[in-house]
Amino acid sequence: MLKYVLRRILVFIPTLIAITLLGFVIMVSAPGDPVERMVVAAQAGGEIGSQTANQVEQKKFWSRKLGLDLPIFYFSLNTMAQSDTLYKIYDNNEQESLSRLTSEYGNWNEISDYYASVTSLYNAHSDLKVDSSTALGYDLNTFKEDVNTSFFESSSLKAAYSLVVLESKFSKLDELYSKPYMAPLKNELEIVKGKFKTVQETATPWKKYIPVLNFYPKNQYHRWIFGDGNWLTGKGAEFTNGVIRGDFGTSYTTKMPIQEVIGIKIFWSFFFSMISVFLAYLISIPLGIQAAVHKDSLFDRVTTVLLFILYSLPSFFAATVMLMWFANPDVLHWFPASGVEPVRGFSPDAGFFERWWERLPFLILPIISYTYGSFAFLSRIMRVSMLEIVNQDYIRTARAKGLTERVVIYKHALRNGLLPIITVFANIFPVAIGGSVILEVIFTIPGMGGESYNAIVNQNYPMLIAIFTITGVLTLVGYLVSDILYAVADPRISFSK
Amino acid sequence: MSNQQENNHFSFRQYAWAQFKKNKPAYVSLWILGILAIIALFAPIIANDQPLYAKYHGESLFPAFSTQNSYEIKLEDGTVEKVQLDIAKWKQMDLESSIWALVPYAPNKSDFLNSDYKAPSGKQFFKDKAGALVDMPGRFRHRLGTNKKGEDVLSGLIHATRISLTIGILSMGIATLIGLVLGSLAGYFGDSKLLTTRGQFWTFIFGLVMAYYYAFMIRADILADAIGTSGSAILLQLLISLAIFIAIAVAFRFIGKLLGKLPLLKSKTNIPVDSLISRAIEILISIPRLILIISIAAVAKPSLINLMLIIGLTSWTGIARITRAEFLKIRNLEYIAAGQSLGFSEVRIIFRHALPNGVAPAFIAVAFGIASAILIESGLSFLGIGVPADVVTWGSLLSSGREAFQAWWLVIFPGCAIFLTVTVYNLLGEGVRDALDPRLKT
Repeated sequence: MLKYVLRRILVFIPTLIAITLLGFVIMVSAPGDPVERMVVAAQAGGEIGSQTANQVEQKKFWSRKLGLDLPIFYFSLNTMAQSDTLYKIYDNNEQESLSRLTSEYGNWNEISDYYASVTSLYNAHSDLKVDSSTALGYDLNTFKEDVNTSFFESSSLKAAYSLVVLESKFSKLDELYSKPYMAPLKNELEIVKGKFKTVQETATPWKKYIPVLNFYPKNQYHRWIFGDGNWLTGKGAEFTNGVIRGDFGTSYTTKMPIQEVIGIKIFWSFFFSMISVFLAYLISIPLGIQAAVHKDSLFDRVTTVLLFILYSLPSFFAATVMLMWFANPDVLHWFPASGVEPVRGFSPDAGFFERWWERLPFLILPIISYTYGSFAFLSRIMRVSMLEIVNQDYIRTARAKGLTERVVIYKHALRNGLLPIITVFANIFPVAIGGSVILEVIFTIPGMGGESYNAIVNQNYPMLIAIFTITGVLTLVGYLVSDILYAVADPRISFSK
Repeated sequence: MSNQQENNHFSFRQYAWAQFKKNKPAYVSLWILGILAIIALFAPIIANDQPLYAKYHGESLFPAFSTQNSYEIKLEDGTVEKVQLDIAKWKQMDLESSIWALVPYAPNKSDFLNSDYKAPSGKQFFKDKAGALVDMPGRFRHRLGTNKKGEDVLSGLIHATRISLTIGILSMGIATLIGLVLGSLAGYFGDSKLLTTRGQFWTFIFGLVMAYYYAFMIRADILADAIGTSGSAILLQLLISLAIFIAIAVAFRFIGKLLGKLPLLKSKTNIPVDSLISRAIEILISIPRLILIISIAAVAKPSLINLMLIIGLTSWTGIARITRAEFLKIRNLEYIAAGQSLGFSEVRIIFRHALPNGVAPAFIAVAFGIASAILIESGLSFLGIGVPADVVTWGSLLSSGREAFQAWWLVIFPGCAIFLTVTVYNLLGEGVRDALDPRLKT
């Protein structure tokens, strides 16, 4: 038995790695640029000004803090043309344009020079001054406008990669820089054009067709799992301790550590799924037995049809209808429509039990919605498994011995009839957690499901992936528990292979 | 069917069909499903805001079937009137005669006179040809009411049937394909029956990486550009990539065969197909499916095709397990041995001889799978995740009813549509199960 559990836990590990990998892949492929997002949020909060230099610093800081200045995974398959340090560019658009340029021309060194010259052209704008000698006869407004245009064009030059676009931008800037006060930029532009020409002349497009495998011991996945300190002890961590030490990063929206948010939210999800699983078992076992024992009776036929209807009834439909009828001031206002506790708070002197008593009206509709699906499912399984057993020889023998029907059913048949219902525990448990997304949204329950919905709406991807990972792990535990329960309940099952 | 079976008037297929027909709920479900399929197929003819036929200034028009954007109608006084098909107010036009669709409204098009939740039986307004506001004539009533924007609920339901059925069937089609192939490979070869030389094995693995590199990585920019343009461009580029992939993979297979003759690489290894596939299934089922689908749908671009792919790619495990179990039985049967001794290729034995005999149990999983795929689709569109905001689905209609509980018709009708479809597929699944395996009958 112990050996079986140990072996089972050993299978755990690759599955866990697979779950974290899957979560990581989803997080990496999420749209949007988190660095951009954090900088904009910081600006909106008034933490930093919108000066360019400051913004660049901020971008660098955030990409370091979020670990985005690292390569994605332990290894990467790349083309020989592509630089393996491209990930160090913190701006997504620039990264994209550089990657496209390299795959077009295949000479990273020259392209890197060209990129440096574009950056220097861009930076040269700050040295631009109105001088009486150059600006003579020009309006100050025209000057400002020209500088702005040039500023914009040169920054968009960084994100341009197609030949047509680049040439049109060059000619546009050429025209702009023909004015005397733009002279300092003209030289820079000439350098840029020269560098681009070098890129074109020394192009080695064949490099694109040669694959190269790169290895990175430090990468985003490693950092996400083990943190940025020592991977084993976690010492020296600067920004994150890693998932392995329960650090899921910070929420984009509330800026709270994600593990804290989940610690608060998990209670209600667990509460509802546990209560519903418990109730479902409590109702379905006797119901299934009764239906099976009195097969084809009126009771059996009615429950079979009813259970089938309940089983096919979508929970979000049922929940909405219940809210519409029982929590609607126009029809029956028996229950509150949302939340898990009074909006005004509890009575000041309410003790633990009084508080739950005040909560009760909030909990009834959600519990019904959570429970009925799994209870219908369980009852149907219970009925089928009892039916199979009631027809078996040893039950006939028990009856022939003259045992009362009660003893036959509850002592002999039930034991074996319960087996399949134990195995489905593992199926119900994750459904109870995962399926709660819709119900928690409908009833505004502050649980994990509602939180993951909010995370999707707000594009708070670290939160979504944290929930994904945690739910996956919990499901694995559920499977483990049900397997062990099964082994305990059925001595015929031997797991030592 | 062989002659002998016909003479004896017995085949498993006929027996199963007879059994299935005896199961009344399942048989009725099949009919209901047929009706739903017809509704889905002919949705634009059943519910359309443009008339099916109209006679206007002496010209016979078929607006609902037309592919043009506009008609140019010659008026009696010689001028030409341009009628823009989708924005013309057909109901107010002076048509000499007209035939309307059963439901004379399109989904997603507002009837501004009847906005703000008009009840099915309540007062509804209509602007007649003279432009006067009158009571809604019976022919143009919103039979199941309208939503906040004045969109016809019945029309939305009819067009959403199409979306739900398509997503359900196509996503399970993807899942079935993956499940059958992986399940039959795992069951047929097991852990020890797929033998290959060491050289061939490693060359093939290397070849796959190379094929991926040349087909998809080098062409990444081209593919990304294609996704930004049109559907046909994506398809074309994907096909080119696929062709490159297959060509390179096949080339490496031949190289592998040659390398496999070299002394050091000649030794045989077996590929643990079953273990690999079973582990993959275990991993996939240990992730809560809804959370997985929601997470992927949240980061993918909202589109029906993406949704279909996501559901399909996460739903094949059940079919694969069933098929695997079936193949574990089949591979020991005589006719497989006969095929092997006749020198048939493994591919031929698996897919031409064994699969037709092992496919039946998978049908059960497919029927239940479609039910749950439809449930997931409507759940996601209820939450507004993964489905484009302008697409009317049963779930999105139901969700819009949450904003105004007085509009019960926005909750009840779409909810019943989902319930009916899911029930029909579940009943069908039970019917198929009972018909195929009488032992399981309860």
